[in-house]
Amino acid sequence: MPRRPAAPSRAVVGIREPEHPFAYIVSESIKIDIWSDIACPWCYIGKRNLEGGIAALGESGPDVEIEYHSFELAPDTPVDFEGSEVDFLARHKGLPEERVQQMLQHVTGVAANAGLTYDFDALQHTNTLKAHELLHFAKEQGLQLELSERLFRAYFTEGRHVGRVDELVELAAEVGLDADAARAALESGRFAAAVQSDIAQAGAYGINGVPFFVIDGKYGISGAQPAEVFAQAIAQVAEEQAA
Amino acid sequence: MSTAQTTPATDAPAPAPFAMIAGDPSAMVCEGDVCYIPGTEG
Repeated sequence: MPRRPAAPSRAVVGIREPEHPFAYIVSESIKIDIWSDIACPWCYIGKRNLEGGIAALGESGPDVEIEYHSFELAPDTPVDFEGSEVDFLARHKGLPEERVQQMLQHVTGVAANAGLTYDFDALQHTNTLKAHELLHFAKEQGLQLELSERLFRAYFTEGRHVGRVDELVELAAEVGLDADAARAALESGRFAAAVQSDIAQAGAYGINGVPFFVIDGKYGISGAQPAEVFAQAIAQVAEEQAA
Repeated sequence: MSTAQTTPATDAPAPAPFAMIAGDPSAMVCEGDVCYIPGTEG
């Protein structure tokens, strides 16, 4: 069953100078940095599990602020790939199609348990660079969480093409972003450097796979962990803050 | 992160300023085009 995430933090005032990659919040809210790619099936599941962990802490749980960071799993992927997800994986991994089908069925089942509907038959494999640029634009506008959810759903559930500017602009508008400003941001490449900066930061930390979560700059969590793991980590940080 | 010992220490990335939480060892991650359980063949 899908779980509602905790309300996004309001604590945008009081952020220390962001010379540190985890812009620590002076307030009592807990910062959660996530390295993720829209084309990563376990990132969407991990997102749901994190939301479940936050929800499990209840109304009295700590405020959290979530920030997504870019990670491109396959930067060499063309924007327009002719073929199915099975074709793509079979070609790149060199696995038999039957094996790829089994892998996709497995992840589809796990996604369903997390309340997500994955449709790999409809999925349009593409390059996610522009989607990442849009996520940075959305962060600037205070709508990054809304857009990340919209992009994941568009990609894994709806078979939308998240590599094309026109489609990204539509999705941006759906979450309340200004369509013209979003298009200008994408066409200018204004956030391309921010995307690469995120990727470089991941590399510097030895983050090779996603999803990867950093809780309040203190604890790293790799993979689509169960909700309980996130809840325990957040609760631990809250206890440390209170000590 | 590679565990190879041939890379000079000076080339190693700076240690991450966080401690890792192991959590569920079967949690899946994606790397490149492939998703797998860390420590397995994938």
